[in-house]
Amino acid sequence: MAKSMKLAGLKSVENAHDESVWTATWVPATGSRPPLLLTGSLDETVKVWRPDELDLVRTNTGHCLGVVSVAAHPSGVIAASAALDSFVRVFDVDTNATIATLESPPSEVWQMQFDPKGTTLAVAGGGSASIKLWDTATWRLVATLSIPRPEGSKPSEKSGCKKFVLSVAWSPNGRRLACGSMDGTISVFDVARAKFLHHLEGHYMPVRSLVFSPEHDSRKLYSASDDGHVQIHDVEGKAIIGAMSGHTGWVLSVDVSPDGEAIATGSSDKTVRLWDFKMRAAIQVMSNHTDQVWAVAFRPGGRGDRLASVSDDKSISLYHCS
Amino acid sequence: MACVYIPVQNSEEEVRVALDQLPRDASDILDILKAEQAPLDLWLIIAREYFKQGKVEQFRQILEEGSSPEIDEYYADVRYERIAILNALGAYYSYLGKIETRQREKEEHFILATQYYNKASRIDMHEPSTWVGKGQLLLAKGEVEQAFSAFKIVLEGDRDNVPALLGQACVEFNRGRYADSLELYKRALQVYPNCPGAVRLGIGLCRYKLGQFQKARQAFQRVLELDLENVEALVALAIMDLQANDAAGIQKGMDKMRRAFEIYPYCAMALNYLANHFFFTGQHFLVEQLTETALAVTNHGPTKSHSFYNLARSYHSKGDFEKAGFYYMASIKEINKPQEFVFPYYGLGQVKLKSGDFRTALSNFEKVLEVYPDNCETLKALGHIYVQLGQVDKAQEFMRKATKIDPRDAQAFLDLAELLISSDTGAALDAFKTARNLLEKGGQAVPVEVLNNIGVLHFEREELELALESFNKALGDGVWLALTGNKPKPYVIEASASILDYKDMQVFHRLEEEGLAVELPWNKVTVVFNLARLHEQLHNTGIANILYRLILFKYPDYIDAYLRLAAIAKARNNLQLSIELVNEALKVNDKCPNALSMLGDLELKNDDWVKAKETLRSASDATDGKDSYAILSLGNWNYFAAIRNEKRNPKLEATHLEKAKELYTRVLVQHTDNLYAANGAAVVLAEKGQFDVSKDIFTQVQEGASGSVFVQMPDVWINLAHIFFAQGNFALAVKMYQNCLRKFYYNTDSQILLYLARTHYEAEQWQECKKTLLRAIHLAPSNYTLRFDAGVAMQKFSTSTLQKEKRTADEVRSTVAELENAVRIFSQLSAASNLHLHGFDEKKINTHVEYCKHLLEAAKVHREAAEREEQQNRQKQEAARQLALAEEARRKAEEQRKHLLERRKQEDEQKRLQQAEEHFKREQWKSSNPGSRRRDRSEIDDEEGGHSEKRRRKGGKRRKKDKNKSRYERDDEEPDMMDDREEMEDEDANRNYRESTTRMNDQDDDNGENAQDLLAAAGLEDSDMEDETAAAPSSAAGRRRRAWSESDDDEPVQRRPESSPVRGNSAELQESDGEIREDNRKPNGGDALDDDED
Repeated sequence: MAKSMKLAGLKSVENAHDESVWTATWVPATGSRPPLLLTGSLDETVKVWRPDELDLVRTNTGHCLGVVSVAAHPSGVIAASAALDSFVRVFDVDTNATIATLESPPSEVWQMQFDPKGTTLAVAGGGSASIKLWDTATWRLVATLSIPRPEGSKPSEKSGCKKFVLSVAWSPNGRRLACGSMDGTISVFDVARAKFLHHLEGHYMPVRSLVFSPEHDSRKLYSASDDGHVQIHDVEGKAIIGAMSGHTGWVLSVDVSPDGEAIATGSSDKTVRLWDFKMRAAIQVMSNHTDQVWAVAFRPGGRGDRLASVSDDKSISLYHCS
Repeated sequence: MACVYIPVQNSEEEVRVALDQLPRDASDILDILKAEQAPLDLWLIIAREYFKQGKVEQFRQILEEGSSPEIDEYYADVRYERIAILNALGAYYSYLGKIETRQREKEEHFILATQYYNKASRIDMHEPSTWVGKGQLLLAKGEVEQAFSAFKIVLEGDRDNVPALLGQACVEFNRGRYADSLELYKRALQVYPNCPGAVRLGIGLCRYKLGQFQKARQAFQRVLELDLENVEALVALAIMDLQANDAAGIQKGMDKMRRAFEIYPYCAMALNYLANHFFFTGQHFLVEQLTETALAVTNHGPTKSHSFYNLARSYHSKGDFEKAGFYYMASIKEINKPQEFVFPYYGLGQVKLKSGDFRTALSNFEKVLEVYPDNCETLKALGHIYVQLGQVDKAQEFMRKATKIDPRDAQAFLDLAELLISSDTGAALDAFKTARNLLEKGGQAVPVEVLNNIGVLHFEREELELALESFNKALGDGVWLALTGNKPKPYVIEASASILDYKDMQVFHRLEEEGLAVELPWNKVTVVFNLARLHEQLHNTGIANILYRLILFKYPDYIDAYLRLAAIAKARNNLQLSIELVNEALKVNDKCPNALSMLGDLELKNDDWVKAKETLRSASDATDGKDSYAILSLGNWNYFAAIRNEKRNPKLEATHLEKAKELYTRVLVQHTDNLYAANGAAVVLAEKGQFDVSKDIFTQVQEGASGSVFVQMPDVWINLAHIFFAQGNFALAVKMYQNCLRKFYYNTDSQILLYLARTHYEAEQWQECKKTLLRAIHLAPSNYTLRFDAGVAMQKFSTSTLQKEKRTADEVRSTVAELENAVRIFSQLSAASNLHLHGFDEKKINTHVEYCKHLLEAAKVHREAAEREEQQNRQKQEAARQLALAEEARRKAEEQRKHLLERRKQEDEQKRLQQAEEHFKREQWKSSNPGSRRRDRSEIDDEEGGHSEKRRRKGGKRRKKDKNKSRYERDDEEPDMMDDREEMEDEDANRNYRESTTRMNDQDDDNGENAQDLLAAAGLEDSDMEDETAAAPSSAAGRRRRAWSESDDDEPVQRRPESSPVRGNSAELQESDGEIREDNRKPNGGDALDDDED
């Protein structure tokens, strides 16, 4: 391979939050401002940062218990944050005005993602073993995509617990939704028909992060698991195309660069790794964090030349990728 | 032919006796001698003649008759002849004694000889020949110093007495004074130039010993000139030729030996040398014949020893160790000290080593070492023996010495390294590396197993890159490069992605199709295995996977490869696949203890208790109960069983605990340094409340576990933390849990976080407790117990805050927020219980919801009160501030006023002074200087006075403020001594403050009462509440996991078991460690060192 992706540290903010930073996402640029970075923390706040200096734009309060997930609408205007208290707060990025507060008890909320067109917010529903879909115009719950129970098991059994849904990812064309569970299975849904298609196997430990390769009709799904591996699945063919190992701890987060060339992961082993898909091997290991790296995120749009990582060590790091 | 004539008594006639026709019966001739009263010299001549003819019996008969008392009486005045006869007998018995090998007979002969000489001395104590005889006797007896005195007596009388000179020369030779000996021989030769060649032989030997080889050679040659057939001279010359140690010399030497043999086939020394020669030429048949002859013809100890040695060596080289040992032993029996001839000791040592008689081998090699303390081979042999005897330290000592003496002996370094592996990996590694470098320098190929061992040692020391390098070097070129290289084929990548299709060997067939030889030589299997193990450690699971599969492709019976694949699957929590792989291993060998142990462990993970126990039993049986891992697992099983049920059955629990303890102890008896067994035993002790003992053990285990990549024992950290917790040392417990989390789990273990939270809870650190639980929830989202616990923590925090006598409005506010969260959490749990997401009893949760709501109501009241009060406080503070500001303004105004006053005064003064000055000027009295000086001073004084005044005031004020503050905080404190002035000034303000504090306290009291009332109203006094929460989770929580909020006394103990599955894991690590070590030893299997138990 002629060109090789490389990361270079741009800026780190120590004590960006008062407590562990658990989640991060990029808010796309709008007409009036560049992309922003959104982070959520155990300290119950969501913070908005402006690159490359990572100037703090705003601190949003309003959540109780830790903030576990943030998601940004493709328009860049609104965003959502979710916390351990199982509320989802939808707000205007630039004014912090609350647009909606979502809950669907007793379902918890974990990872969230807006669909590529921005009409639906998918929320990983934890113990409800389902993905909740919210309409972004009315903020009404429009669908619950449930993982079917294994055949022969009675609803009274605790097996539901095992299909605890942690992570969720939209395919780039918006037709498929994948969700990862505590027991390591990945479930694939046909969104249009609200129908469960099949499971993707290979992990037997929690899958905390999922991401599709960005090509429009991509069938390639990357999954990060506590088993220390990133697996590459063919979503339609149900096959494992490859596996990448090297992290010495849980892989907590995986993201693909907008051009699909590079894969970044964050792990409990405190490192951020950059991978080459063709080699199935790590090409770079960043060790600037001193605790678990909970999220990595490539800046969307254009060249995707920025990567952000957040960690239990309360810090945020921004990297230049070339 | 010579004749003697015996004169016939009383006549002129003589009886002619032909000496070659002496009668067989000596009595005939004795009769004549006696009858004719023949002169005694004739008796002697005849006896001597018998002796010459080998008729020793007749010789003795005549002489004994010739020395009988009758003869003494009859020939009383014939002194010399009588002495000669006695001396002859003395010499005869001396000789007998000398050649006799049996000790008793030897003694008897010497006694007889002594008697005859003594008798001779009684006749004439100055007779030189008697002294010479005595000297010879003493020499034969080995009493060299006394022999010396005997010969000296003779030589003092006659310094040219040749026999005495020769005797003395012999004495000096034996004393090792070769120069003196040489002088004596020379003198004998001067006195008696025609003496027999033997004298020159003595000269030759002395010169030889003095290192004058050329002159020695000349002496021997002179002997040969005089006597062509002198065997001793021939042999001596031959030996000198042989010692030249070159082909020509050996040829010449052997020729001479052969000639000596032809002349006289019974010279033992020649025979020995010939035998020695034929030993080296491999003609063992000749060796045996020659040595047997040599043994038959000599009684000389050292020579016989040499012969036996030759014989033993011959058998040794033929592999007949029993006979070899026997003859070595015989050889040694002929030796007084090892210094004389050390070789048989070495040989015997070797033979005994071979037969496993290490003690005997040891003592023999030690004898060799006495003589040659720097002999490398002996040092190495001793090293090996000490290994076998289990004295590793001594073994190392010897090996180290061997390597020091010969720092180029690669083998010695290898041996040393082998020894050090178990005790000092660093030193072992160095030794291996030195050996490797020596081999490389010498242009020799470094054996694969050496490189493998170097790799393993690096591996063990966590120098993974170096390990990789060494393994790759050991492997060299081969199919593995296509599997592990930088640019593997896409189908290799795909094949390595998952272990799921471990049976699929297509990838190897494809490689073969592409023309790659998929070969795996037997001596590289272990290295490939270790390489795979290393890639596992490097988390390159794919490469490890494909390498194990390569091993299985070529060697489908390689159980360890199946087990490692199973371990990889297990690490990824794919228990089904793992079990399948272990079963593949069991197909190869259904008694493989490692496979059975692993299966048992997997079954335990699958909650298959009964099956697991059976499997572990059979693992233990498969090794006759010698496999520590299996016993440990059974111990763990029993331990789990003891604490398994939440409704404890005390009897069953005690039985299981006792059984567990017994099993742990059994392992400890076999292996006193087994950390896992020690840990287990300590856990059982802790269960019984013996915290101090168990703490000691845990601490030791913790120390023992540090330092090796293969021993990871987080359990012991957790157990120690549990002990600290149980003893109420919460700070240390917290530290220990946190260190464990960081060191072993990257802070990801929610169970330990739960322990940590529990400790914070007991330490009443509510916020830390809550944060810790939130982290745990984030890590283990589906564990609803954690949520319940978080709810309880928040509830507890709120209760305790509300019960506090004093708290700020902020505290109350956060209490309200916390209660709202608690209500939400409990409500959600309550709702979720419909979905059977967790096993909590809905009613209990609802009780919590209700209680928290009650509390919330109360808290809201408190909050309002607190906020009101806060408002009031703020107002008061504002008032106080205003007051302070006013005061400040007043003070400033006052100062201003004073200042003005001052200035006016000064101005007045100045004016006055000016006037005075003018007055002075007007007076025109003296110069103006003193005056102006005085004025200056007064100005300064004034200024200083002003400043100091101000300063004092400021200081006073500050003090005052402090006091006020303290009074505000603790109003029972009496005011201190005050600056009178200031007290006057600030009296009002003080009073104000005091009033406000009292009011506040009143309020406090009210609130406190209110809170108590509310609690009482809710029917939930704190103590009751504890019970409530305790009951809630236990009734329905998961089978093995009880919620921590249960605050029984035995709680910490109950928690410990949770860590024990981890212990299982660690033990498995140890197992894999064992595998590697085993493999690491395999290549050296041929060595004598390989049998020790790990």
